[in-house]
Amino acid sequence: MSHDVHHAAVKLQYQPSLPLGNGKLCLWLFLSTEIMFFAGLIGTYIVLRFGAPPGTWPKPHDVHLVEIIGALNTFVLLMSSVTIVLALESSRNNNAGMAKAWMVATFLLGSVFLGVKAYEYKEKFRHGIYPAKPHSSIYDKADLYYLQACRQRLEGIQKDLMDQKASTEGLSEEQQEQLTHCENVLNNLVKFSEQSAANATDVLRQQRAMEIVASAIYPRAHTANSYEHLIDYLAAEEADLLHEKTDLRKVISEKKSEQTALKENKVPALEKQAAAEQNSEEKAKLTGQVTAAKANQEKLAAEITADNARLAAIDGRLSLHKFLTDDAEKEHIQHGLNDHPDYAFLRLPMKIPSGNMWASTYFLMTGFHAIHVLVGLIAFVFLLVMHLGHKRSYVIENVGLYWHFVDLVWIFLFPLLYLF
Amino acid sequence: MTTREDHDDVSHGGHEAGHGGVGKYIAVFFALCGLTVISYLVGNSATLREKTPGIMWAMMMAVSCAKASLVILFFMHLKWEANWKYVLTVPASIMSIFLMLMLIPDIGLRTRWYAEERWLYAPPPVEKHEGHEAAHAEEEKATGDEGNIFEKKTKASH
Repeated sequence: MSHDVHHAAVKLQYQPSLPLGNGKLCLWLFLSTEIMFFAGLIGTYIVLRFGAPPGTWPKPHDVHLVEIIGALNTFVLLMSSVTIVLALESSRNNNAGMAKAWMVATFLLGSVFLGVKAYEYKEKFRHGIYPAKPHSSIYDKADLYYLQACRQRLEGIQKDLMDQKASTEGLSEEQQEQLTHCENVLNNLVKFSEQSAANATDVLRQQRAMEIVASAIYPRAHTANSYEHLIDYLAAEEADLLHEKTDLRKVISEKKSEQTALKENKVPALEKQAAAEQNSEEKAKLTGQVTAAKANQEKLAAEITADNARLAAIDGRLSLHKFLTDDAEKEHIQHGLNDHPDYAFLRLPMKIPSGNMWASTYFLMTGFHAIHVLVGLIAFVFLLVMHLGHKRSYVIENVGLYWHFVDLVWIFLFPLLYLF
Repeated sequence: MTTREDHDDVSHGGHEAGHGGVGKYIAVFFALCGLTVISYLVGNSATLREKTPGIMWAMMMAVSCAKASLVILFFMHLKWEANWKYVLTVPASIMSIFLMLMLIPDIGLRTRWYAEERWLYAPPPVEKHEGHEAAHAEEEKATGDEGNIFEKKTKASH
């Protein structure tokens, strides 16, 4: 018995579970869940990216990502990691003033990071890249839905401008120009291509007619020779259209002479004959012929109108060709109408294969990271109002651990998003 | 005899300063910047991207892992912590790695075995095709990469 007591008195002692402070323990536990959280996001991104149909995942320049801005942000975060570690060092040496100075530097660097991020987001939004519909104007394929979206967008702009034109306000010179540009794209690019696609004799031609709209509006940066393809297509189309135009002119003049013949000779002659005819049976027959001839005449007139409309459409398309293939415009057309100074205001739907998936993952990951940065900045504000002597160094240490983790996440995000 | 007080002293005490040192932190910072430059150069190398994208990705991930290790070891002081560090970091890391190892072969590589029919509802693939029949070459030229799916269909129907 006494042996047991002795034993207990000597051997039993208080043992904390882990040899570290509560705050730091909690923070590390939190960080280990954060590791899994971001691993989930990054893992999903990798899976979606490599699971996307081969080669479709947008390259950084397709979606207005600028590598050097990402590299700059990496540098900023690395700097802030150093400054917060120096703040901790100063605090441990009981140099509260220096610690505060380093914390201010860290806070500023964190703000710079968020500012750059905000600028990047703004640029995406400006180009119609949003995480989801209805704002997003990204389409995976150049199909009929794509053309329809283009048409609806243009018709909306056209309607607004026309409404204003009809109102007392009228259009300013700039808006008048916008209306012209809008109608040019609507009629000569989109509607004409829809017509070509509808009339196409095989799937390939149909696809090509629609594809050309997408590459005129938003050629993807890494598609080699996309401008040359456009020019080649337009050259081939131009030859066809000129041919069609000559044929149409001939047909129209034939129809016109037939119409004139009907109007000036055949119909009056038949009418005269019918008036002179005594036999009622014969007369009815002749009156029938007059009606038929008149109907024929009307049909010809309608056909001529349609042919003339087609001629006008072809002329419009050819004027668009002239604009698209103009050497002076080459610089702009290579970047597409969406980046053309005169046409950028249209913000037309873009074909970016896997672009919506890209936007979802990009905004989700950088968004969550930016929220973490924001939380870090809030924590810094609390630190900045404290006295940062060595008694408080453990607070800097814990906030610092969190901040380094934020840096760590960005270390993986930067190559995955900007360089892969 | 160890008490909680002592532990707090151990984790927060001034004597830990000897582990890091400003010089070491600055050296780590420059190493991190250097590694960033490496991944930037690798990512912008057109040759690597076209010929061996797998190697390019592996290099960038290796650089990222190296950077992460530097940050964790030096800035987060894990190099000088007691053995509890393994309790908190190893399980989380194992789960993270497992997550990827399970997802990548299952979903990540799924399009390699898409059925023909399924391609009709997926964004068209962009692949390099060489040695077509002459008839298709011209069409391919105009449509760019996107003609492939239709080309595949026409080929199959021939």
